[in-house]
Amino acid sequence: MTGPDVAWYVAVAAVLFGIGALGVLIRRNTLVVLLSLELMLNAGNLALIALSRHFHNGAGQIFALAVMAVAASEVCVGLGLVVALNRRHLSLDVDTLSELKG
Amino acid sequence: MTGGSWLCLLAPLGGTILILLGGTKIPRVAAAWIATTSVFVAFGGAVWAFFGVRSAPTNVGLGIVSPFPARGEITTAWTWLASGHFSVGLQLLVDPLSAVMMLIVSGVGGLIVLYSIGYMDGDEEERRYFAYISFFVFSMLLLVEGGNLLLLLVGWGLVGLSSYLLIGFWHERPSAVRAAKKAFVMNAFGDAAMALAFFILIAHTSSLSFGVLDFGLSTTQANLVALGLLGGAAAKSAQIPLQTWLPDAMEGPTPVSALIHAATMVTAGVYLIARTHPIFEQARTIELIAAGTGALTLLVAGLIALVQTDIKRVIAYSTMSQIGYMFLGAGVGAYANGMFHLMTHAFFKALLFMTAGLAIHALAGEQDIRNMRGLGKLMPFTKWCFLAGALALVGIPPFSGFFSKDSIVASAAALGTWYGWIFWVCGIAGAFLTGLYTFRLWFLVFPGEPSPFVREHHHDHHGREGAWTMLVPVGVLAVLATVGGWLQWSPQWHPFTDWLAPAAQTLTVAEPTSTQEYLTSAATVLAGLAGIALAWAIYSERRVEVPAAPFWRRTLEHKFYFDELYDRLFYAPGAWAASFLRREFEEPVVLQTGRDLGETTLATGGLVRRIQTGLLRTYVLFLAAGAAGLVLAFLIAK
Amino acid sequence: MSATSLTSILIWLPIAGALLIWLLPLSRYATGSLALLFSLAEVGFWIEQAARFDFSRSGLQMEERAKWFGDLGVSYHVGVYGFSLWLVGLTVVALAAATGYGFWVGRDRSRAYFGLMLLLTGATVGVFEAQDLLVFYAFFEAMLIPLYILIGVWGGAKRMEATIKFVIYTMAGSLLMLAAIVAYGLKAGTFDLIDGPTSASRWLFLGFMLAFVIKAPLFPFHGWLPDAYREAPPEVSAVLSGVIAKAGLYGMLRIAIAKFPDPTSFYRTTLLALAAAALVYGSLLAFRSADFRGVVAYSSLAQSGLIALGLFAGTDLGFDGAVLQMVAHGLISTSLFLIAGAVERRTTTGEFRLLGGMARGRPALATLLMLVGVISLAVPGSASFAGEFLILAGVFQRAWWWSAIGAGAIVLAAMYMLRLISAVLHEARGSTVADEALDVRPGELALVVPLVAGLLFLSAWPAGISHHSFFGQSPAATVKGQFK
Repeated sequence: MTGPDVAWYVAVAAVLFGIGALGVLIRRNTLVVLLSLELMLNAGNLALIALSRHFHNGAGQIFALAVMAVAASEVCVGLGLVVALNRRHLSLDVDTLSELKG
Repeated sequence: MTGGSWLCLLAPLGGTILILLGGTKIPRVAAAWIATTSVFVAFGGAVWAFFGVRSAPTNVGLGIVSPFPARGEITTAWTWLASGHFSVGLQLLVDPLSAVMMLIVSGVGGLIVLYSIGYMDGDEEERRYFAYISFFVFSMLLLVEGGNLLLLLVGWGLVGLSSYLLIGFWHERPSAVRAAKKAFVMNAFGDAAMALAFFILIAHTSSLSFGVLDFGLSTTQANLVALGLLGGAAAKSAQIPLQTWLPDAMEGPTPVSALIHAATMVTAGVYLIARTHPIFEQARTIELIAAGTGALTLLVAGLIALVQTDIKRVIAYSTMSQIGYMFLGAGVGAYANGMFHLMTHAFFKALLFMTAGLAIHALAGEQDIRNMRGLGKLMPFTKWCFLAGALALVGIPPFSGFFSKDSIVASAAALGTWYGWIFWVCGIAGAFLTGLYTFRLWFLVFPGEPSPFVREHHHDHHGREGAWTMLVPVGVLAVLATVGGWLQWSPQWHPFTDWLAPAAQTLTVAEPTSTQEYLTSAATVLAGLAGIALAWAIYSERRVEVPAAPFWRRTLEHKFYFDELYDRLFYAPGAWAASFLRREFEEPVVLQTGRDLGETTLATGGLVRRIQTGLLRTYVLFLAAGAAGLVLAFLIAK
Repeated sequence: MSATSLTSILIWLPIAGALLIWLLPLSRYATGSLALLFSLAEVGFWIEQAARFDFSRSGLQMEERAKWFGDLGVSYHVGVYGFSLWLVGLTVVALAAATGYGFWVGRDRSRAYFGLMLLLTGATVGVFEAQDLLVFYAFFEAMLIPLYILIGVWGGAKRMEATIKFVIYTMAGSLLMLAAIVAYGLKAGTFDLIDGPTSASRWLFLGFMLAFVIKAPLFPFHGWLPDAYREAPPEVSAVLSGVIAKAGLYGMLRIAIAKFPDPTSFYRTTLLALAAAALVYGSLLAFRSADFRGVVAYSSLAQSGLIALGLFAGTDLGFDGAVLQMVAHGLISTSLFLIAGAVERRTTTGEFRLLGGMARGRPALATLLMLVGVISLAVPGSASFAGEFLILAGVFQRAWWWSAIGAGAIVLAAMYMLRLISAVLHEARGSTVADEALDVRPGELALVVPLVAGLLFLSAWPAGISHHSFFGQSPAATVKGQFK
């Protein structure tokens, strides 16, 4: 079975990663930042799986699974934080959350 | 006999521990009697040990060139301190020398502790006093029984400690506290000197048993060791130049002065010289320096005693002067004569202090002799006992001092050298001074009609001159001060010298002929009588005016300015150096460096913290930039 | 339980206790009791360890070893020698007393406090038992963390300044030591203290020594000392000067001297001079300090100098004396700081001009302070006398003047200690000494008396330590043979 060349996959992953990174940097809504973060992680997963297939090395796929687990936990914590912020009637704008300013 | 020595040593320690643990739970009287009993038990142990030594076989062939003394025994309880090949046991030595010292210390000590029961009665902290004093007896016994040099030093230090505790017993008096500290620090100098001498021995023989004193040291080493030991002995025995603490030590209770600063501890220097005589004989120069120190001290102290007005200080200076005689004796090589004078001195000086204590007690703490005139009428017993002590001190026959002091002076003459004759002249002059200051005291205090001050302040103890616990020891010591010297009269019979011979054989150069003995005796007795006569003329009949000589009077009253000199030489520069270091180095350099380091770190932190904007996006940007940087770096490196 | 596991138990038991205390929501009283229980259990285990220790055998005993980073040659390797056994004993006893003191005065934020005290116990024991450089380093640092917090949170008015100084000084030393450890370990291929070879590198030696002279401390690296000892809570000062400072000196013995014989002899004179300077300088400043803790702090500096003098003498007597003196001074200064704490609680101050006359009516306080004071000024017959005598006799064999300086400093010691005693206990009553200020209470007695009893025992039998620290007849040869 043949498909598109591995370069395509990697390119898509790079584009996805760029979109995610820009989202994290530019957007101010906490939820969207979280979404962008997920995007970046999945871009990484895509690249891992594609390259793993290309090199016939299973390690990449295993690693992708680990990333998924991490991503899932991260979403839990992240969303939990968002809910906690919301409960305290705090703004969801990340720029206003600068308590740790040195 | 070793059982006796352990009993002797440990009984007073047991007494201390009992009193200390009992605390306020035991009544005061009980504490007093525990201490007294423990010291008398120690005396029993000493007697046991003494007879043990007496019946032990003599092997003079071995000499004290150890490891075992000629006649006697060393017992080791356990290894006290050990390292590498160096090992020192917790061991006791019983030989003729230590047996004599044990008898003196525990015997006179027992009497004085008994005396304290009356003297300290009613003091708020009586229990503490008795704990201290039995601890002192323990330490002193450790000093004289210690079976090696290190244990001797331990006893040496512990008597210094108990002396500190007892001088400063009335700790709310600033003068007492100051005197106690002074005594301790000056003795610490002596301890340090001794320790340095021991280091030399360890470095060359890796042992501190008495036996190593005999061999294997070069002349320089022997000289240095002897010098260190002499430093320790001079500090403990208040000899020039380490004498200034003793007069101040009179701040302690009077029985303490009698026991520690007259009868036992201050004479330890003489014991030390006798005990370590092999090293002094290898370093004959140093030994003669010891004799010279004694000769100088006996004159200086005798002179200063002439102008003192405090009854205890007069006796204190006379103690220094008499120890000067002992140093003279031991220094010229007549160890037995020095030790014999140590013994008789213990009797009559303790007696003098204790009669002075009776007087002070009866006058509610007054110590100025100018206020005491005519006390004899109210206190006849005290008066006659004091007289016995005074005559013994001056050395008038048949009182004990005559027998012991004269033979020392005769030994100096026996040397036959120029310095021998100087020592001899010093000894005779000292006898004159002794007569003068002792009977100045006597004539000022006892004879005549009681002064108004005495009438006003005198109070008796239920119709007697003191509690029986005070009078009995005084009586016993008066008898001993009178007859104690009959034990030995060098020209005719000398059992004491023979007894000590296995432990400390008198040098042949210091053995006077009978003619020298008789001549010296005549000279000293005449000098003493002349002193008494002069004192009588000045202070009793007032026929002779005290010469004005304001310069000399001032010099003597300032004790030859030793205190002032040491203050300028040691204390002031030390204090200045400490303050200078604090002001100029510790504060501005060391502490400031710490402060600067802290402030610089904080300031740097203040600069760097601006990066922490608190904005999530900046952090992410840094992260991304960092990651990109890393990737680039790897790519370039490839 | 085998003898070997005792070594690890001694390290991990208090750390487990700390975790337990942090987890359990107990009351102040329960927390304190639990911590004290752990400390006492620790003392019990140490007694068991000492009883099982075989003094007639050479080399490391009760050894435990597990691979950690195998390829780097790092392993969890612990065990004890004679001298480390005594230092572990000092640690557990002093820390039990300090923990008890914290319980007695009722420190607030008790769970944090007692947890940290237990953590400190475990880490310090770890330092004395570690036989691998990285393990040693880990415990050396772990020991500092609780100290920073204990001083910074429970200290006196100027505690922040004191903490910052302490952190910076010790960190600077530690980091250089870390660099030295890494350099040594990579070159040798192992971080193990037993397998590792000796090294001739002077730089590495200096890296280690800097950490140790700051920790001990020696002149002029003591900038952190006066503030830390004054501002820390008294029981923490007690641990700091009684135990933690000994970790620095232990490091000199176990690592710097044993692993770097050539640099040690190259720098010997310099180091002896530094030690002598610490001794004299500390004694002089102690003599002019105006407060209780100041005197004890500077006297600790002097004592560190004295011990270092013994260590770098490199002679049999010097090594034995140094170990004996480490333990004796540890007990002394722990007791002195606890007594200082007792005095400060009654009078709110440690300044001499406000104190005085406390002996009247307070026999227990007077007896304790007097006893510890005279032992600390090395009155002949005391444990510290035995230690100082051996040290000075040992360094005498190197050159006589070191001993002469030392003997002079001991006279100074008599002066400053007697000044302390009389300023607190004697003469007129100080303005802050109220009549109703109590004598030492049974609770406080229970803490200090065991320490003093230990001192008296050592005074009766100093050979117990001085002759049971190194295997064989010659400690110098044992050190040279790297304790094998």
